Amino acid sequence: MTTKEQQATAPGIKQDSRRTDISKTSLFINRAGAYFIVAILLVIGLIIAQGRFVSIDNIRSILNAVSLTGMACAGLAFVVYSANFNDMSLPMTMALSGMMAVQLIPFGIVVSVVGGIAAGTLVGVVNGILIGKFRANPIIWTLAFNMVLSGIVRVAWGGSQIYPDTVAGDSEFAQQAAVQFNSFARTYFFDGALPLMVVVMIVLFVFAYFMMTRTRFGNKLKMVGSNYEAARLSGVNCAKTVILAYVLCSLCAAIAGIFYTSMTKIGAYSNGEGYDFDCLTAVLLGGMTLAGGKGNIVGVFGGVLVVGMLKNIMTLIGISTFSQYLVTGVVFLIVVWINTSSERKLGRA
Amino acid sequence: MEQTKRKFHASMINDYRAFVFLGIVLIFGIFANNFYTLYNFTSIFSGSSLYTFIGLAFTLCMIAGHMDLSVGYMATMGAMMVLGMRTLEGLPWGVAFLVAAGVGALFGLANGILVAKAKIHSFIVTLGMQFVIKGLLNIYSNGAEISVKGDFEVTDILNSSPIPFLPFSVLFLFTLAAVIILMVVLAKTRFGRNVYMLGGNLETAWLAGIKSDRNTILIFMISGILCGLGGALYGVSAGTATPTLGEKGIAPLMVGLTATIIGGTDIAGGKGSVLNTFVSIVAILAMFGVITTLVGKFEVQILFIGIVLAFCVLYETFTKYAKQKTLGIRPDLVQKYMQESGKTKL
Repeated sequence: MTTKEQQATAPGIKQDSRRTDISKTSLFINRAGAYFIVAILLVIGLIIAQGRFVSIDNIRSILNAVSLTGMACAGLAFVVYSANFNDMSLPMTMALSGMMAVQLIPFGIVVSVVGGIAAGTLVGVVNGILIGKFRANPIIWTLAFNMVLSGIVRVAWGGSQIYPDTVAGDSEFAQQAAVQFNSFARTYFFDGALPLMVVVMIVLFVFAYFMMTRTRFGNKLKMVGSNYEAARLSGVNCAKTVILAYVLCSLCAAIAGIFYTSMTKIGAYSNGEGYDFDCLTAVLLGGMTLAGGKGNIVGVFGGVLVVGMLKNIMTLIGISTFSQYLVTGVVFLIVVWINTSSERKLGRA
Repeated sequence: MEQTKRKFHASMINDYRAFVFLGIVLIFGIFANNFYTLYNFTSIFSGSSLYTFIGLAFTLCMIAGHMDLSVGYMATMGAMMVLGMRTLEGLPWGVAFLVAAGVGALFGLANGILVAKAKIHSFIVTLGMQFVIKGLLNIYSNGAEISVKGDFEVTDILNSSPIPFLPFSVLFLFTLAAVIILMVVLAKTRFGRNVYMLGGNLETAWLAGIKSDRNTILIFMISGILCGLGGALYGVSAGTATPTLGEKGIAPLMVGLTATIIGGTDIAGGKGSVLNTFVSIVAILAMFGVITTLVGKFEVQILFIGIVLAFCVLYETFTKYAKQKTLGIRPDLVQKYMQESGKTKL
């Protein structure tokens, strides 16, 4: 302080009027992130729908509705965290894994699920090698690959949908596998209180949290996301890190795709449509930024909850589907705006 | 001598690959029945109208280093507004077109302010704006289509070919005018030069005295106006518009983006040409026509547009990768090292 006063009193030198203290509200918004909005939504929900909002049924339906988005988000968070914008091939990853799983049903349920997940993960390997190793532009490459995959899947299956029970044919073994496959999305624990999809989503989020905070990979990912050149110069194997991030993303998307297919009982190329932007919305609501290296998995889970709760509250009030788009868009823009401005005020953007 | 020759090949692929692509498509067109007919070319050129306007808007934003994902929905809005104003409100056509362009400008302004003043990434802003526009459109029309309701006067004018023996409909002539105007603006005016400088390096441009915020907002507004006009022209020429226009089939946004990349516009900004985008859109539509006659499947169209886009991205990626590997290495020393060590690869 004394130095500052001395400076101020010295002749010819203007007083430094720039603010050096950190704004408390910005810090709070930055820390609380999506949970701030979750709390607001909770209060709105409690006021508007008395008794209906906080009930086992409603909470389960919220979680069930966001479970697929949540699964994909747990993986997508790695890609966004590594400053690679978005995995636009998410829809076709989901569709491909689902269709492969359905096609492999005659060989038994284990082969089907493993094959589906492997097919989806392969997409991530290709994406990772091209973006991590050869530094292709992430958005354009994944978009192009999405189109190529879309074409391949459509041509390979003749542009038609496939059904688990039709693919299984007459054999007893395959029919049983088909029934098992369809029951994935309809499995509940504790007398229907806890759906399997929600359990899988939470397991994936815990896994992602562990990977992000407790492993060497997580630390490297943070470095790569924050500053690619600095990470490379300090000896981090950037290519390997980014490849792993994409593989994890596709793995989660493939699991989500299999559950989606099991839920609709149809393997179709249009299965994951719209999930690329929906998931990105949730991840960004959760406090991650496209610049990478910011935010955390807990926040992303909050973002997923915001998406689910927002939709649920709007349906409870009786807002039409059309207006829901508008409200979602406006809320998204405002939240991201607040987020960005708080980052900027803290000097972190 | 050899050096200049290699450079010529590189520029051929880098700067003129849209023309190369068009040439390949035209060669394959020989094998397709009825490809080289006046009617076919008229339909290709007319069909390219909506995509061209969207592609122009997208290219303009991309040269400036931004991404405008809301172009598809803004075009839809233009189509809905012009038909809504004409059919539901009964305004004259001129005013209806002005309203369509104005609404596009308004949303472009919103995009621009959020990008330039609030400093949010353009990818996020336009992503959010996409949902907002989608919601507004559905509320406006209740999810139903709006048609011209028997008032086909302007529709007929737009679809007629005024010049005999040339495959140019009025709709296409408007499109061509837009392309030429934007080309001149980008090449000859101060604003056009600013666009390239902003995309090349925002910081440097600002230091050089360019009003970066104002120019960014202006870029997004022009993008909105282009989309609004393009959508309006398409809506009137088709006679109907639905809120799902921006997402059915191969989404117009995807075609615009693909054409922009094939046209050689750098995604990081600062490099690109409007003419190349236009040529690649015509080439893509001609390719669709060829595929439809040769194979006759919608699926193959998607596969091929994906392959072309992937090929362009891969080519750019690998050349950049090779360049990165030898960056800062003196070629004479490398040659000496190879002669001494006997290795063929570095």
